[in-house]
Amino acid sequence: MSKKGKKVRPEGTLGIITGAGMMGAILLAGLLIPWFGKYDANEISSDQLLSPGGTHYFGTDMLGRDVFTRVFDAVFVDIGTAFAGVLIPLTVGTIVGTLLGISRNRRVNSFIGSLIDGINAFPFLIFVIALVSFLGAGLSSIILALSLVNWARYARIARTRAVVVNQQGYVEAARTLGYKPTRILFRHIIPNVSSETRAYALSDFTIVIIAVAALSFLGLGVNPPQAEWGAMIKDGANIITLAWWTAVFPGLAICWAGISVAIFSEGLTKRIGEGSQQ
Amino acid sequence: MASSAINKGKPTEDILVEQRVPDKNRIALRRTLIGRFVRSLTVAFWVMFIAFSLLRFSPGDPIRTALGTDATEEQVIAMREKYGLDQPFFVQFYDYFTGFFGGNLGTSFFSEREVTEVLRMHLPVTLMIILLSMGAAVMISIPIALSVALSRRPAVTYFFRTSTSISLAIPGFFLALLGLLLFGTVFTWVPAAGYEGNFPSNLKYLWLPALVNCFSLVPILSRVLHSSLMDTLGEEFVETGVIRGVGKLKFYWSYMLRPSLAPTVVLVSYMVGIMIGGTVVMEMIFSLPGIGRELIDAVSTRDYAIVQGIVMIFGLIVVFTSFIGDLLGYLLDRRVTLS
Repeated sequence: MSKKGKKVRPEGTLGIITGAGMMGAILLAGLLIPWFGKYDANEISSDQLLSPGGTHYFGTDMLGRDVFTRVFDAVFVDIGTAFAGVLIPLTVGTIVGTLLGISRNRRVNSFIGSLIDGINAFPFLIFVIALVSFLGAGLSSIILALSLVNWARYARIARTRAVVVNQQGYVEAARTLGYKPTRILFRHIIPNVSSETRAYALSDFTIVIIAVAALSFLGLGVNPPQAEWGAMIKDGANIITLAWWTAVFPGLAICWAGISVAIFSEGLTKRIGEGSQQ
Repeated sequence: MASSAINKGKPTEDILVEQRVPDKNRIALRRTLIGRFVRSLTVAFWVMFIAFSLLRFSPGDPIRTALGTDATEEQVIAMREKYGLDQPFFVQFYDYFTGFFGGNLGTSFFSEREVTEVLRMHLPVTLMIILLSMGAAVMISIPIALSVALSRRPAVTYFFRTSTSISLAIPGFFLALLGLLLFGTVFTWVPAAGYEGNFPSNLKYLWLPALVNCFSLVPILSRVLHSSLMDTLGEEFVETGVIRGVGKLKFYWSYMLRPSLAPTVVLVSYMVGIMIGGTVVMEMIFSLPGIGRELIDAVSTRDYAIVQGIVMIFGLIVVFTSFIGDLLGYLLDRRVTLS
């Protein structure tokens, strides 16, 4: 191959591929292993606290359940909850923030604006814990609590951005052409506002994955016997000196998921940054 | 940097003085400061209102939960009257609001403890962990950010950026557990249980939680400081400093760190919120008698008065510290305009 024929990869490609690959791998494992594995995730057996080995790759827990199966059985519970906990506030926050940014009603603007500031003032995890306690423990409460808290962060970003986008030439042009306000909003303004909120959502995803596990770790998440990383670490923490594998493997799974998102978003930021410089 | 090669020259004046905005902007400054203060008060009011509303939105009757299932109707009504829950919503809020300024945040539904008493007992431990974490994080971040900024190799920057974002993706409670396993069981550097409240002796309980908190603080802090340092490096006065041959320490402090500090200080104040969340988890793992453990206990017993009080205090702490941070950031660098 001549040097000319070699394609120059844009910067950040390595991060994007690695991150997406890591995420894809754990999702695939989460799909396949509980279905085709030797054990059932909630199957109680007399082989309690076996150390990792040939028959039980990650060992067994207090009730003799296979940790390997349980770790991958929890993939969709954890990542799915975190995904919903990012997608809902992203959507709501982007729309509310954009509407605030383009609205001319100063009273509504400052009223909802200070409400947003008020919600954002609370420490994220504390507020979510309090909300979950009022809503009752469980995954749907976690998603609802994450949405009630996080929409305000997205709304704040979207509002700032919408003010700028609203004054851009292409929006003015669309208005001059006489397009309907709803069309301008959804086709011209929101796509440009959401590029910013989506970038934030990606970095938020890592935080939310950890938060979901932390809530379960504090006893506010899933109901037993459902396998979930935070809850597994919580159970394993009490016997960590006796059987380290019951807590360490679910912990590594959280790290794997979080790091895959982090690397992906790092790569994406790099590529976008490069594109905007050109 | 070449500054160390020629460090004999002495600067005759502080060049940074020139960067400051002249006094004619004083009035505009006062106006923005007052505006920022008023906004903080508005936000503080919302914080109180939201924390107060939480209890009222909760499904089910907290009084019935507190009294148990076999409580008579008279008992429920009597207790509801005692806590003023039979009043209309806004009357209740007014009472709560005025009570706050009289140092009264209500009493627990279960243990009859006053919320202010709970806060006074347990808040110092939490604040101590936060203070230690912040101090350690600043100490660690400054040399990291400085050395990454000064080494102009792209590989170093890339490694720095990747490792910081990976470090952010590791959950603190998992790290704390590993730390406890390593330093508590293998090395026995951390006492397994118990706590002593006095200053030097409590450090042996608090150093590991603070260090674990640093794993989420240092990446954020050092990244902001790094990008702020990179901005500073592009300024002309840095070149002047190099040409003048300013001493190494003076160069690092006056020409690089000092002009770059403002965004970091503002960020540190904003990060108090993140740190409070991390500290709650640390208190649970290390069995420290802080406010976070009280919160989790109150959540599990559905002691809403305590939950409400703790959530509100944390919200107010964040509002207060971010105001102070903005102020400090401005004083450190007058070029910053207050948002």
